[in-house]
Amino acid sequence: MNRFKRVALCVVTSSWIIGIASPALAHGVVGQRFFPATITTDDPFAADELALPTITSFNHETDIDVDYSKTFLPGFAVEVGYGHVHASGDERGFGNLEIAPSLEVYRNSKHEFILTTGLEWEVGGTGSKAVAERSSTYTPTLKFGKGFGDLPDSMKYLRPLAVTGTVGYAIPGGGDAPKLIEWGGAIEYSLLYLQNNVRDQGLSDFVAHITPVVEFAFSSHTKPGEGGTTGTINPGLIWSGQSVQLAAEAIVPVNRASGHGLGFIAQLHFYIDDLFPHSLGRPIFGGKK
Amino acid sequence: MNSRLLVALIACACSATSASAHAFLKRAQPSAGAVLASPPKSIALAFTEKLEPALSCVNVTDSAGHNLAAAAPVIDGVSMIVPLRPLGRATYRVTWHAVTGDTHRTEGAYTFTVK
Repeated sequence: MNRFKRVALCVVTSSWIIGIASPALAHGVVGQRFFPATITTDDPFAADELALPTITSFNHETDIDVDYSKTFLPGFAVEVGYGHVHASGDERGFGNLEIAPSLEVYRNSKHEFILTTGLEWEVGGTGSKAVAERSSTYTPTLKFGKGFGDLPDSMKYLRPLAVTGTVGYAIPGGGDAPKLIEWGGAIEYSLLYLQNNVRDQGLSDFVAHITPVVEFAFSSHTKPGEGGTTGTINPGLIWSGQSVQLAAEAIVPVNRASGHGLGFIAQLHFYIDDLFPHSLGRPIFGGKK
Repeated sequence: MNSRLLVALIACACSATSASAHAFLKRAQPSAGAVLASPPKSIALAFTEKLEPALSCVNVTDSAGHNLAAAAPVIDGVSMIVPLRPLGRATYRVTWHAVTGDTHRTEGAYTFTVK
């Protein structure tokens, strides 16, 4: 059993045992708004969830990733991510382990707003030499989500709109790698919100749970001359069920430096708090939110 | 990746619909944005999950904020029903919150009009 599997098994087992006595915590809900989990960028929720797998094919590279997020306290979670990279040629192997604690610092139900802060730690040296950096990278991050359910009646068909955003400052722990600003977000239109809160369109249950989304993820150098901005714009669909979510997006590079041709990303996502509400899906410590 | 683990999780996800989870609104009568020729005698909401009656509620108000329920809502299983007083021609607002057995809470609001 490798190091990651030992850590994951320990976290899962202890969470299961200790979490039995703790209350549940909802994922992705602020006021009347349900935000589905975005797949290209991090959403602003500290929740119990599992993305298994996320498959990305873009620019002659295929990645298969697993991400597990566990709440330790209501509003505080730690996400662990690991993935396999298969690039062109002999470049293949596991990427570095990523550990990302996040803390929800502000919620406003009336205005469907949430603000979260976090730290993303890519643990250097934990992946294969062929594809992973030997030094760590630390990225303090700020994330938010805002639904537009508070718009006036004259703009009621814009109420299903919501945006999420993330901005982080990537600081390499060693080597001569440049510092980067990682930023992105999502624009989403909830058919469920349209159906239930604005006007019943007669959509079937299946269709009503679809959220059209456009995600964007960019990386900008902080010093002139080091390079410009690279990134992708990813239009797609997210289908959210009671305990599982399916999502697929196209990947469109914004310039030549960002990659060549179209790609795709797809994800199967489990809401652990709904699957195991009385055990693994609850915070380890703390009461009802 | 362990394919057995993936299969087990998918099986759990598919079979877990009867367990407590977020209760989403499935049907509403009258529905969101409806324009009615005659006033409804009650509001009926159906959810995707079984509700906790003591912690769930539905209210109907007019533009002045007056409560138009004729009696306390009846919450049973996945449904909420609240009888209404006689309604005149106006726009009314329905607000609800739903709590399931595992304390997951959802809420919503919509309007309908009697012409």
